[in-house]
Amino acid sequence: MRELFRRYKLLLLAVVLLMATVLLYSYNLRHKSTTTFFERAVLTFAEPFQSGIDQTVDAVRNVWKNYLWLVDARQRNIELLKENRELKAKLLQVEEISLQNQRLRALLGFVDDLDRPALPAQVIGEDASNWARTIVIDKGTKSGLRNGLPVVAAEGVVGRIIKISQNSARVLLITDASSAVAALIQRTRTRGVARGQGQDLSVEYALRTADIEVGDLLVTSGMGGIFPKGLPLGKVADIEKGQFGLFQQVKVETMVDFSHLEEVLVIVGEDQ
Amino acid sequence: MRRFLLYLLIGIFFALLQSSVLPLFFEPNWRPNLILILVLFLSFHEGLPLAVFGGMVLGAIQDSFCGPSLGLYVSADLAIVMLTKLVAEQLNVESPPLLLLLVAAGTLVQNALLGFFLTAFADTEPVISILLPAIPQQLLANLVFSALLLVVYLRLLKWFGYRGGLGSLLYQGKHYGH
Repeated sequence: MRELFRRYKLLLLAVVLLMATVLLYSYNLRHKSTTTFFERAVLTFAEPFQSGIDQTVDAVRNVWKNYLWLVDARQRNIELLKENRELKAKLLQVEEISLQNQRLRALLGFVDDLDRPALPAQVIGEDASNWARTIVIDKGTKSGLRNGLPVVAAEGVVGRIIKISQNSARVLLITDASSAVAALIQRTRTRGVARGQGQDLSVEYALRTADIEVGDLLVTSGMGGIFPKGLPLGKVADIEKGQFGLFQQVKVETMVDFSHLEEVLVIVGEDQ
Repeated sequence: MRRFLLYLLIGIFFALLQSSVLPLFFEPNWRPNLILILVLFLSFHEGLPLAVFGGMVLGAIQDSFCGPSLGLYVSADLAIVMLTKLVAEQLNVESPPLLLLLVAAGTLVQNALLGFFLTAFADTEPVISILLPAIPQQLLANLVFSALLLVVYLRLLKWFGYRGGLGSLLYQGKHYGH
């Protein structure tokens, strides 16, 4: 027996380790709302780098847009470029500021409609995998945020905070496969659960007999206790009704374009 | 210890690249899994204790940069380290094409493990419909980036004059006609 144990010592150890890690994963699944020390440490450590990379990319992009791409033009027409270069650079800056202004105005308008205190945050990172849908924002416990707070954009719901450190937080997007939001069809008040499908959403538990049409707006129902009632989630894009079964298959396109998300709002308080 | 720290730093650098830089240029399905490539490299290049411990730590880092729960990539990467160790004993892992084949196999195994864990433990069935269609793009991205990393690695070996592993093979092949 001892000989057998000695011979397969490493294999046994590896199997025990594997089982331990699976148990760890299973344990963490049941305690989703807590951020472990390791995760907090990694988030805290990564935040300055992610902010730095974000700023560097912006700076490089600005330098590229404002100066480098003008090299060809300068070769074609040096005098004209000399006259216009600074103006163009300023114009680009003004356009950028104007676009940001528009986005922030839309966000502020959204906050007014929402009638709840909200905190603006910048997106500084995305998920490192191709299957999970999360983003990292540049606000954390220092700004008064905590796990579970809803995150929105001017167009609608973005997701909710699942991990948090002092200066950054990870947001689970509504398109993630593990995300489920209590929802209802605005026109008919048909209830369902909006489940993430990667790029879009599906509405689960929508009864086969329920009146749902393509183009209907899907909003949060406020039942889950996380998202306030009435926030737009998406528009119904496709409906499939089989001959049998209790429910219909409803596909929903999200209102928010998650591939171009730059600023978001974290809803921090109750109704005012 | 020094080698472990080096793998750790490279792992964190890769995680930052994957979460902050690559999303600027690639759609999610076309983003390479650089940490998986590092775990595979670690598995066939280092001894069992460092490979197992390093694989678990790299998995934990990847868990911290993606998805909602810690432990998923720790388990998947540990299983990959063990499988790679078993396979590495049977194969000539010094051959670059074989290494690329291992990366392809590693990508498939990791996707299968993630799909299994996420469906069996986390009740996220839609993830299968996200993972499966992405496999061809993921395979291609991982192969292209691992080939690039291999070229960089061999170039570094040449510059720094260290001739162990693949470097020694190429060096011997060049000088002794093997």
